[in-house]
Amino acid sequence: MPHNYLLLPLIALPLATSLVLLAVPSRYANVVRYIAAASSLALLGLSLYVFFAYQFGDGDSVIQFEGRWPWLENVGFLGANGITLHLGVDGISAPMVLLNGIVAFTGVLISWKIDYRTKDFVVLFFALVAGVFGTFISLDLFFFFFFYELAVLPMFLLIAVWGASSRFPTFVRTKEYGAMKLTLYLVAASVLVFVGIFAIFVKANIGTFDLPALYNVQFSEGFQKAVFPVFVIGCGVLAGLWPFHTWSPDGHVAAPTAVSMLHAGVLMKLGAFGIIRLGIQLLPEGAQFWMPGVMVLATTNVIYGAVSAMAQRDFKYMVGYSSVSHMGYVLMGLATLNPIGVNGAVLQMFSHGIMTALMFAMVGAVYDQAHVRDMSVFGGLANKMPRFTAFFAVAGLASLGLPGLSGFVAEFHIFVGTFHTYPAFGALAIFGAAITAAYILRMLAMAFFGPFNEKWSKLKEMSRWEQAAGAILIFFLLFMGLWPAPFIDRISSTVLTLVALK
Amino acid sequence: MGMEQAWLIPAIPAAAAGILILFGKYLPRKGDWLSVLAIGTSFVLFFFVLHDLTDALARGGEFTAVHSGREWVRIGSFNLRIGFQVDQLAAVMLAVVSFISLMVQVYSLGYMKGDKRYGWYFAVQSLFAAAMLTLVLADNFLLLYFAWEGVGLCSFLLIGHYHERRSAAEAAKKAFITTRLGDVGLLIGAILLYRSVGTFDMSTIFDAARSGQIDHAYLTAAVLLILLGAMGKSAQFPFHVWLPDAMEGPTPVSALIHAATMVVAGVYLVARTMPHFQVVDGTLVAVTAVGLITTFMSAAMGLVMTDIKRVVAYSTLNSLGLMFIALGAGSVTVALLYVFTHAFFKALLFLASGSVYHATDELEVTQMGGLAKKMPVTAAVFTLGAMSMAGLVPLAGFWNKDELLLSTFENHNIFVYLAVLVSVLITALYMTRLVLLVFTGKPRNEHVYEHAHEPGPAMKLPLLLLGVLTVFAGFVVFDGVGRLMGLPGGFGEFVFTHEPEVFRINAGVTASSILLVLVGIAGGFYFWGGAAERAKAVGEKMPQVYSLLRNKFYMDDAYQWVIDRVVLVVAGVVSWYDRVIVNDTGVNGTADATRFSGFLLKFHETGLMPNYALLMTVGVVVLAVIAFIVGT
Repeated sequence: MPHNYLLLPLIALPLATSLVLLAVPSRYANVVRYIAAASSLALLGLSLYVFFAYQFGDGDSVIQFEGRWPWLENVGFLGANGITLHLGVDGISAPMVLLNGIVAFTGVLISWKIDYRTKDFVVLFFALVAGVFGTFISLDLFFFFFFYELAVLPMFLLIAVWGASSRFPTFVRTKEYGAMKLTLYLVAASVLVFVGIFAIFVKANIGTFDLPALYNVQFSEGFQKAVFPVFVIGCGVLAGLWPFHTWSPDGHVAAPTAVSMLHAGVLMKLGAFGIIRLGIQLLPEGAQFWMPGVMVLATTNVIYGAVSAMAQRDFKYMVGYSSVSHMGYVLMGLATLNPIGVNGAVLQMFSHGIMTALMFAMVGAVYDQAHVRDMSVFGGLANKMPRFTAFFAVAGLASLGLPGLSGFVAEFHIFVGTFHTYPAFGALAIFGAAITAAYILRMLAMAFFGPFNEKWSKLKEMSRWEQAAGAILIFFLLFMGLWPAPFIDRISSTVLTLVALK
Repeated sequence: MGMEQAWLIPAIPAAAAGILILFGKYLPRKGDWLSVLAIGTSFVLFFFVLHDLTDALARGGEFTAVHSGREWVRIGSFNLRIGFQVDQLAAVMLAVVSFISLMVQVYSLGYMKGDKRYGWYFAVQSLFAAAMLTLVLADNFLLLYFAWEGVGLCSFLLIGHYHERRSAAEAAKKAFITTRLGDVGLLIGAILLYRSVGTFDMSTIFDAARSGQIDHAYLTAAVLLILLGAMGKSAQFPFHVWLPDAMEGPTPVSALIHAATMVVAGVYLVARTMPHFQVVDGTLVAVTAVGLITTFMSAAMGLVMTDIKRVVAYSTLNSLGLMFIALGAGSVTVALLYVFTHAFFKALLFLASGSVYHATDELEVTQMGGLAKKMPVTAAVFTLGAMSMAGLVPLAGFWNKDELLLSTFENHNIFVYLAVLVSVLITALYMTRLVLLVFTGKPRNEHVYEHAHEPGPAMKLPLLLLGVLTVFAGFVVFDGVGRLMGLPGGFGEFVFTHEPEVFRINAGVTASSILLVLVGIAGGFYFWGGAAERAKAVGEKMPQVYSLLRNKFYMDDAYQWVIDRVVLVVAGVVSWYDRVIVNDTGVNGTADATRFSGFLLKFHETGLMPNYALLMTVGVVVLAVIAFIVGT
C-alpha cells in the first residue's frame, strides 16, 4: 500500500503543539496564543486541502489519502495488520475533518482573551483537537477508540478549571458537577462501545482491528441485532440521543466558550460519526432491524429539545437544548437508512457544527462582558452592538432552517429522506423546525430588540478576534447554504456505497 | 435577451443586495442609487422578456412555459434544480413586482431620508425584490419555497426596521412565526408531492395529478397543506392577525410588501397550483370559505379602526379575501386581474398615507381632519385610491370587482354572490369614512394641521404615476387595450391560454355593483360627514358590537392566551421534567445509588482477619455447591 503522509499531521501537529507548549514558560501568554493560532491555522489549511483534494465519483473512490503504520502485529491474538495506525478519509469524514479544522481555528481566536492559565488551557485544547481529528480519520478500531477517548477526557479539566458555575433561583449547577457528569456519562458510554468493539473483534476472528477488513466480514444476523444497540447507545450518548442527553446542556453551560464550541460543534458529531462507522457500516442488518426504534427516539429528540429550549431564559441552556434538538435531526437522517436521509444527516453534522459554534461564540462574547446569560435582563442590544446582533441572528436563522443558510439544505434532505419511509415522523420534524423559529425569534426579540436597557451601556462591540471568528463561520454557513454541491458530491459518493442503504 | 435569460431579473437585485450588505456604508449615499438602479434594470429587462413572450404567443400553437436554470444538488437519481420559467402568469407578477418595487424605492429616497439605518433599508429592499422575483419565476417547489422564506425574512427585517420600538419588534416576530406555521404546511405538501411523483418540478407534478397518477386522498392532503402555506403568506383567516401589526414597518414597506407584492404570493401560489385544486373536489370550496371569512372579518374591523395605516391594512385583508373568492370560483384570470390592479391602488393608498404621516408624524385619524387644504395632491390621490378600492366606476378597482362579481355569480351559489355584494357595500362605507375623517371637516388637532405639507418630488412622482395607473389600469379588461399593449387577445386571453377568459359585462351584475358602491359612499357621507355624530351614535347604541370589532374579534387575545397558558406552560413542564425527573432523579439517582451501595459495602471492610477468612470459606462452599449442582 502506498504510504500517504497527508493525514498524519492532522494528528501529529496538534499533539506536537501541545508538547511544544509544555516547554514554553507560562508567563509568555502571548507567545502561547500566537503558537496556537499558527498551529490551528495550519490545521485549517490542511483540512481545507484534504476536503477539496478528495476526489469524488458516483458511488466509488471511497477511501483516499490512505496511510498505514504498523504497531502490533502477529503477537498473541493479533494476526497480520493486527493493530495499525491506519489513516484515510472517505466522503463522510472529509467534511468532518474540515469542520474540525474550522471550529478549532475559530475556537482559538475566541479564546484569545483567556487569561487564567492560558498555556494549560491551550495544551488541553490541542489534545482534544488531536483526538477529534484522529477519530475522524482512523480506520482501525483500536485507534478509533483511543482517539475517541482522547477527545473526551481533556474535557473534564477544561470544564472544571475554566468553566463557570450557574446559580438559578430554583437550582444550582456548579462547573464541577457539569464536568463530572459529562465525563462519567461519556466514559460509561465508551464502555459500551468498547464492549461492542471486542465483540466484533472476537466474532470476526481474523485477528485484526482493521476496519476495511472487518467491513468485508459477514456477521450473522443474530449477532448484528445483538451488537448494534450497543453501538447506537454507546455512540448515541455522545450524540445527545434522548433520554441520554442531559450531560449535554449542563456540560455546555458549564464549559468555557471555546470548549462549548468544540464540544457542541464537533464532539457531539463524533457520536453520530461512530454510529455510521461502527453501526451502519459494520452491522448493516442490525441497522435495518433497529433503525425504526432509533427514529422514534430521534424524533423525540427533535421535539423534546425544541420544546425545552422554548422554556429557557439562559442563553446557553437555550443553545444547549437546541443542540439536543438539532442532533435529533442528524439521528433521524441516519435512521432513514436511505441515501438522501443519510446525506442530510452528514450535512446536518457539518451545518450544526458551524452554526452552534457561532452561537456559543456569540453567547461567550456577551457573557464575558456582562457576566449574565439571562436573556430577559437584556433588551435592545441591537442598538449598542449591531454587528454582534447580526452575527447572532445569522446563527439563529441558520438554526431555524432559513433557506440560503446551511441549516435548510441539511434539514431539507433529512425531511425528504424521512418522508420516504416515515411520513408522520417527517411531518413532526418539520413542525419541530417551526418550534425552533418560535424560540429563536423569542430570544432575538427579548434580548436584542426593543428599547435599549441603559443598564448595559458599558457593553462594547465584539473584539476583532471574535469578529474574525464569526465571519469565518458565517462564510461557511452561506457557502453550504447557497452552493451545497461540493459537500453533497463528496458525501454522496460514499453514502451511495453503504451496504445498509441498499 | 429573452425568456431564457429571465433569471437575470432576480439576479441583478440579488447582486445589489450582496454588495450593499457588505460594502453599503462605504458607498456614496450609502448605495441607495445602486438599489434603485438594480430594480430599474430589472424592470427594463422585464419588457424584453415580455416581448419575447408575446412573440412566442403570436407564433400560435400550444405554448408551454420556457424553462431555464441549472442543477443545484445531485445524489444519485435525486436532483434539485434552480429552475426558472416564464409564462403569462409569471409575466403579470413580474410586471407588478418590478414596477411597484421601483416606485416604492424611488419614494423611499425621500421618505427614509435621514433614517438611522438608511443603507441597510435599501439593502433589504433589494434583497426583497430579488426574493420576490425569484418566487414568481420558480419552476419547482423547492426554489419557490426558498424564495418564499426569503421574502418572509425580508418582511421580518423590514417590519422590525424600527426595532427600538417594542411594538415593532413584537410585530416582526409575530409576522414571522405566524407565516412560518403556514410554511410548515407548504413544505410538507411539496415533499408529499415529491414523494409520489419523484420530482419537485411543478409542471411534471401537475401532469401527474391530472392523469390521476397520484392517489386521491393523498393529493387532497397535499393540496390542503399547500393551501395552508398560501393562507399564511396571504394573511387569510385564521392567520390574518399578523398583517395589521405589520404596519409597524416604514410605510413604503407596507405599500410594497404588505399590500402589493408579498401578501399576494399566496394568491399567486394558489393560481399557480390551480391544476391541483381543480383535480380535487372540495378544495376550491375551502378556498372560497377562507376568502369569505377573511373578507367579512376585515371589512367589519375596517369600519371601526382609527389608525390610517391599519384601516388600509384591513382593506388589504379585505381584498386578499376577495382574491381567494375569485380563486375559489376557479378563475385565475380574475384573481390575477385583481392582483394587478390592486397593486396600483393599494400601493397608492399606502404611499399617500405615508406622506400624511411623513408630514404630520401622526397616524390616528382622530387627530386629523381637514388636511385636504394643506396637502391637496396627497388628498386627491388618496381619494382616488380609496374610491378605486371602493369600486367606483371607472377606476381600476371597479373592473376587477365587476369581474369578480360576475365570476362568483356564474361559478358559485347565490349565497357567495350576495355575500360579496354586501362586502362591496361595507368597503365603500369605510373607505369613504377614511377619506372624510382624514381630509375633510375641521382640524381636530391644530398641531398636526400646522405641520401638514406636501411631500418632496421623490415622493410625489410615484404618487402621481400610481394615481394615473389607478385610473387607467382597469382598462386592460378590454381586448382592444390588450392589443394596444401588444398582448394578443387582451388580458383575459393572455393570462390563461388553456381556458381563455372573455371579460364581459352583465348588465344586472354591473348595475347592482354600481348602485351598492354609490349607496356605500352616500352612507359614508351620512354617518361620518361633518363631525361624524351619527356614526358615534350608532357605536354607542351597540357597545358590544363596537368593542368586539375594536378588539379584533378577540383573536389576538385568544392566541396570546394559548401562547401563555398552553405553549409556554407545556414548555415549562417539559423542561422541568427534563431537569427534575430525567436528570436529578434518573442521572443523579444512578450516581446516588452507586454511592449508597459503596456505603453499604464498606461495612464488609472491617480489617479483621477472621471476618475475611469466614467470607472466603463461605464463598468457596457456595461455589462448590453451585459447581456440584451444575456438574450433575
